[in-house]
Amino acid sequence: MLTWLVLLPILGAVAVLLTPAARRELHIPMGIALSILPLGLALYLFAAFEPQVDMQFAEFHSWYEPWGIAWNLGIDGISMPMVVLTTILVPIALGASTTVTSRTKEFVVYTLLLEAGMIGVFVSLDLFLFFVFFETILIPMYFIIGIWGSERRVYAAMKFFIYTAFGSALMLAGIIALAVLHNDQVGSPSFALADLSGLDLSVGAERWLFAAFALAFAIKVPVFPLHTWLPDAHTEAPTAGSILLAGVMLKLGTYGLLRFNLQLFPKASVDAIWIMGILAVIGIVYGAAVAIVQPDLKKLVAYSSVSHLGFIVLGTFALTSGGLQGAVIQNVNHGLTTGALFLLVGMIYDRRHTKQISEFGGLQKVMPVFAGFFLFMIFASIGLPGLNGFVGEYLVLIGSFTTLPVLAIIAASGVILAAIYLLWAYERVFTGVPEKEENKALADLSIREITLLAPLTALVLLLGLYPNILLDKIAPSTEAVLDHIEASTDYVVPAPGRLGDVFVAGGEGE
Amino acid sequence: MITPEISWLAILPEVMLALGAAAVLLVEVQWKPVSRVLGIIAAGSVVLAAAFSVLQWAQAADSIELGATGDLVAFSGLVLMDGLAIFGRFALLAVTAFGLLAGSRYIESLGRRSAEAIALVLLASAGFSIMVAANNLVMMFLGLEVGSIALYVLAGMSRERARSDEAAIKYFLLGSFASAIFIYGVALIYAGTGEFEVLGIREFLGSFVVFSPAVILIGLGLVLVGLGFKVSAAPFHSWAPDVYQGAPAGVVGYMAAVAKIAGFVAMTRILLTGVGALDANWLPIVAAMAALSMLVGSTLALVQGDVRRMLAYSGVAHAGFILTGVVGGTTEGILFYLAVYSLQLVGAFAVAAAVSGAGNSESALESYRGLAKKSPFLAGSFTVLLLGMAGLPVTSGFIAKFGVFTEAWANGFRWLVIVAVLASVIAFAFYLRIIVAMYMDESEAMAVDVPASSRWVLMVAVGTTILWGILPGSLLSLASDALPL
Repeated sequence: MLTWLVLLPILGAVAVLLTPAARRELHIPMGIALSILPLGLALYLFAAFEPQVDMQFAEFHSWYEPWGIAWNLGIDGISMPMVVLTTILVPIALGASTTVTSRTKEFVVYTLLLEAGMIGVFVSLDLFLFFVFFETILIPMYFIIGIWGSERRVYAAMKFFIYTAFGSALMLAGIIALAVLHNDQVGSPSFALADLSGLDLSVGAERWLFAAFALAFAIKVPVFPLHTWLPDAHTEAPTAGSILLAGVMLKLGTYGLLRFNLQLFPKASVDAIWIMGILAVIGIVYGAAVAIVQPDLKKLVAYSSVSHLGFIVLGTFALTSGGLQGAVIQNVNHGLTTGALFLLVGMIYDRRHTKQISEFGGLQKVMPVFAGFFLFMIFASIGLPGLNGFVGEYLVLIGSFTTLPVLAIIAASGVILAAIYLLWAYERVFTGVPEKEENKALADLSIREITLLAPLTALVLLLGLYPNILLDKIAPSTEAVLDHIEASTDYVVPAPGRLGDVFVAGGEGE
Repeated sequence: MITPEISWLAILPEVMLALGAAAVLLVEVQWKPVSRVLGIIAAGSVVLAAAFSVLQWAQAADSIELGATGDLVAFSGLVLMDGLAIFGRFALLAVTAFGLLAGSRYIESLGRRSAEAIALVLLASAGFSIMVAANNLVMMFLGLEVGSIALYVLAGMSRERARSDEAAIKYFLLGSFASAIFIYGVALIYAGTGEFEVLGIREFLGSFVVFSPAVILIGLGLVLVGLGFKVSAAPFHSWAPDVYQGAPAGVVGYMAAVAKIAGFVAMTRILLTGVGALDANWLPIVAAMAALSMLVGSTLALVQGDVRRMLAYSGVAHAGFILTGVVGGTTEGILFYLAVYSLQLVGAFAVAAAVSGAGNSESALESYRGLAKKSPFLAGSFTVLLLGMAGLPVTSGFIAKFGVFTEAWANGFRWLVIVAVLASVIAFAFYLRIIVAMYMDESEAMAVDVPASSRWVLMVAVGTTILWGILPGSLLSLASDALPL
């Protein structure tokens, strides 16, 4: 089943590859249609997913026995939401790409390959396989930014590639080290997450390996001060690239920290609570502060990502039930809202070919529907109660207050700063009277554009009003992570940090 | 009088190649056929050589199973028929076949001199083939010289071009110097151990404790310099960029690949089999060479404006990666790496030859701009090959790098692995520069015509790069069986 989920986009890419390059009008509709298939499969998986600890839909085929590498797939409550998010965002990203007019065939092929790779990252339970997907997806994203981006696209693509490849290179050394250790301790090499998390590591080794993995993921997230590639990549990428970059690829970092760092190196993770927490909070405040002064709408959303992902990192290293659940659900929330914001910025860019805030003003009057969607997504992003962002940020803050109270208090200011930079941007772009001639004649959203935004809007509402639809499925897995950490270290989650200690959404499932 | 039992099978592949070379020259003199006929003769000799190698492989497997490994030592210990030799020869033969195919347009353009080029290729392969099978160091030297001299002449085949002359002279002078250093090293090893044979040296070091191995080590150091030159490992790499750039595009890929395969197989044999007992002495030196090669190759490749010079420096970096495998101490990783890299190299130069046209050596990065529009096939193939050389996943290059890194890490050389992964990232940058030029530059490239023969080479090179990246077991299991005696 999961194999098919990975293979379907690849087969789709092959199908698109076989169509004639000249039939430009065919490629994107075909890509959308083909990316609906994995979406359907992912929704089925979501429905069939049982809220339990075990890896579900697991598959295992040996790849090359003597090396111990395997095609080892499975999903749990931490990865399942990411898989669904990925499959939701790809058709929307393709639907937003009608402005891509040159080399459409390649564009769709790269997007579908990117989808396969991203799904692969989330479903891999073998570190070798995980690395293969983690590194391979750089290539299609590199092409998407480098070919269809704006003026400084080659520079941005190169920076993106080298920066992230640098991080994953050291992680590769870490993966090799783990496999060699497994060979020394057990007698055969293995890359399976389950095998490697049972290794007996010295504290020193664990810290080094934690650092190697954390660096790779921190660059991907990006955690301050490793974020400098992100604004370039986002500003230069085409809309579809930005949606997938912010919506899914940044989550590879937060997902990796939760899945691999906490699972494989519990002792080092406990030791790193403060370092990671402080970096996360710096990211929250710094990202928000820089976002306030951005003159470019897209850059503003990009820096807001730095700020929002800081919450996810903080929640992860709070090492409490609330923190971890908040981190997982915030992964989804950020994907939905920031994906939607990039989509909206892309729509206005298509009309005006500028992203400068100062070029706009009074758009509310001209494009009321657009303004409505924008305001809605801004509210979701700020974390207005009733919308999805509230659930995630609330859980993270509650969760981290137990273990890192000072940091939680500082982080809470990020919510206020978010309100400042987003609402101020809204004010400058949408309120008042349209002064510029170009702005007076702008067309409001078309049916196609509303269709793209509608599912995201619906999900933002659904997760805001009824988060348990997801939290119930997440909780067993995040609890298992905490159990694992408590079992392998002296760390005990301080009360009231665990489910059952206090009312936390999703608690009634226990 | 007792006639010693001669195992002809041990040298039949080389005999086939040499006979092929002779036949090409004689047929040319007698009938002056079109060069296609000469190509068929050459192909026939390569196929026969491969067929005899298959027989050797079967016999090696039988003998090892029966425990009669002595049968695999032929000609009183001059040559061996072990897995290492046979795998190395297969790689050489594959590169020869694809090299001739990729160079066929260039060879045809030589007119009546095409027979010379084909014969030189076959002779070079015969020489290097003896070199990979040699147990006796003098025999190894003979193979090295037969192969190298043929390559010097090949480098200078386009006499009308000054750059080709320069490349040939430079290659010849520095190469003969390296060979002289190599044979001097062999003499010192002989002085220290009383043995020319690799297996004998191993036995000597196994049965005696050498209190001051200085003479052996100096000899070994000189041998390493000689071989380091042939495989273009830093700091003995300075000839490579000029030769890669100056020699005729059609045959450069072949030249670079065979020298690497033979040099590394010989180095593996000497270091891992012969003086394995002294590894505490040579491991640090080889590790330093590896680190230097990776860093020098990757960083200098960044600043090149010519694709063939870039590939030369990337070859220096790859020499470093393979040396990392030598440090790792097992032949599996080295052989796999050699096999996949040499095919990628031949493929990459097939692209370079197509872009710069027959014989012409112009290969500035400029001429690759917009290639994706002019020839999607060429650009796509080149991209896969470059990503393979860069070692990105889903290509054989990743598996190859992963293999040698893991072995080096397991052998305790962690710092070297960290240098290696960082050098790989630096290397990404210049492989990407070529891809940027092909895909992201709008300016118009010249129309490119890709000969059918090059298409075949590229399809095989790209196909194996992806196949062995996804299903590495098919080649890895062969490489792990290909053990030295």
